[in-house]
Amino acid sequence: MSKGRWSKRGSSKGGLGLVALAAWLAMSAGAAPAADQALYPDWQGAWARFVVRGLGGQPSFDQTKPWGLGQEAPLTAEYQKILEDSIADQAQGGQGNFAEHAQCYPAGMPLMMVAFRPLEFVVTPQTTYVLVGGSDHYRRIFTDGRDWPSDIMPSYSGYSIGLWTNAGGGGRNDTLEIETRGFKGRRAYDATGLPLHFDNQSIIKERIHLDPSDPNIMHDETTVIDHALTRPWTVDKKYLRRPNPRPDWEEAYCVEGTALVTIGGEMYYLDGDGLLMPARKGQKAPDLRHFK
Amino acid sequence: MYHRGLICAFAVALMASGAQAAEDAKYPNLKGQWTVIVKPGVPGQRVKFDPDKPWGRGQEAPLTAEYQKVHEESMADQANGGLGNYPTATCHPGGMPRMMSVGEYEYIVTPETTYILIGGEDNYRRIFTDGRPWPGDIDPTYAGYSIGRWLDESGSGSFDVLEVETRGPFKGPRAYDGTGLPLHFDNQSVFKERFYLDKSDPNVLHDTITVMDHALTRPWTADKTYRRSANTRPKWREYYCINGMVNVVIGKENYFLSADGLLMPAKKNQAPPDLRYFKQTQN
Repeated sequence: MSKGRWSKRGSSKGGLGLVALAAWLAMSAGAAPAADQALYPDWQGAWARFVVRGLGGQPSFDQTKPWGLGQEAPLTAEYQKILEDSIADQAQGGQGNFAEHAQCYPAGMPLMMVAFRPLEFVVTPQTTYVLVGGSDHYRRIFTDGRDWPSDIMPSYSGYSIGLWTNAGGGGRNDTLEIETRGFKGRRAYDATGLPLHFDNQSIIKERIHLDPSDPNIMHDETTVIDHALTRPWTVDKKYLRRPNPRPDWEEAYCVEGTALVTIGGEMYYLDGDGLLMPARKGQKAPDLRHFK
Repeated sequence: MYHRGLICAFAVALMASGAQAAEDAKYPNLKGQWTVIVKPGVPGQRVKFDPDKPWGRGQEAPLTAEYQKVHEESMADQANGGLGNYPTATCHPGGMPRMMSVGEYEYIVTPETTYILIGGEDNYRRIFTDGRPWPGDIDPTYAGYSIGRWLDESGSGSFDVLEVETRGPFKGPRAYDGTGLPLHFDNQSVFKERFYLDKSDPNVLHDTITVMDHALTRPWTADKTYRRSANTRPKWREYYCINGMVNVVIGKENYFLSADGLLMPAKKNQAPPDLRYFKQTQN
């Protein structure tokens, strides 16, 4: 064996040892937070929804289009009618297909990701949490390699399994791919009652990642596969990171401000004194058969 | 080049996995599902401040005379079908301290914040451990604003106690339990907590809470304990109070909703609600 070849082998082993030593020293010096940053993208902070000025209405699934009919959702004829009936009912004072959420039931997926208030993402190796608040609490996205359970308890937020990938090729995880199943309902995409199928068999796939050119923009590319649709429906939801590193986290609970009450299948309003009022023109008072 | 690439990848992986282990070793292991430990044989509902005593009067809360009266009136109202001093009966958040007395909990520990996921009537808590000072203006919330710091009381080189102070102004009214055992309506409570694993059983978590409140004659302390589920992948039940809620408040009166959703009296001889806004009645 020539000295030259032996030298190369020796220098490789020596180099490896030096790097390993450096790594061990870095660990011991409390470099853990820096290493976590090396593993996962920086998703800290308050993420507010991206707003297109002038759209009108309330926020919806596709941020770039108006709510309701403006979403141009690829609905089946049956569910297009449900949407139109919902809008018509709301024009008459009802809540249409949005009655449950109007009364503080959870919105569930995908509406819970609309970010009426900023979202917080908390990344750990086994689970990524999305703190939503309001009528929806939070999401858990399990990234611990688990299989789909054979029995999923139906929930408004669904059961989410995620996989970190390195789509950018930069040597670290940068994209969280998620599949969510197992829903309760009813759920709607927005406050017009734009409906998901009442069978609650939706599957929702997401790819969450930071914008390659601006780390303060987050993308949640969401695809809904649902029997109320003629085809999968994909949108790119964007969130903007607020600059304050210590954001004010607003606490909001729907029950505090709701003025709606449902009695015997009919929805009524409560006035400023909490007294019952009709929600529709000519609406009859509630049935009081149980009172003497 | 190939060998250099391998060496770099190895170094990053070594650093990352070892550093993650180092990070985990700094803090106690609070992972998993934690459920309130219920003492067998203690009567009443399990949602209460002092887990060792019965709810309501059994708590022997050191209330002022004024708030003892508020409590008695709450229970009397409930005995007559009313809701008393307990807005959680209509799904309003319980807030502190009731939110630490219910259900299943998950703790997420990061260097800047410890999160407590709760669900139900209350969403979650954030306990800021990033060294921040108290803000000059705190928005009123049911959960309060919590600042914590990690301590190494055992001298082991790892943190073992999370000390937390929570201030308001709070929103309310808030009650300790379902009898409407009251906190002061001024919502100026201050809570101090110590979270730590039981020295003899790391699957038992203590939350020793002290309440300082103007409805009390002295600070009131209870040691709340929680047991960690053995299942490393527990089922997380999604619970929303609004599902199945049958209480409705109209004006100043609470009523029930029958199985067919119609209004029913909650109290004996209760008059129906004022229907002054309706021109047409159903009966």
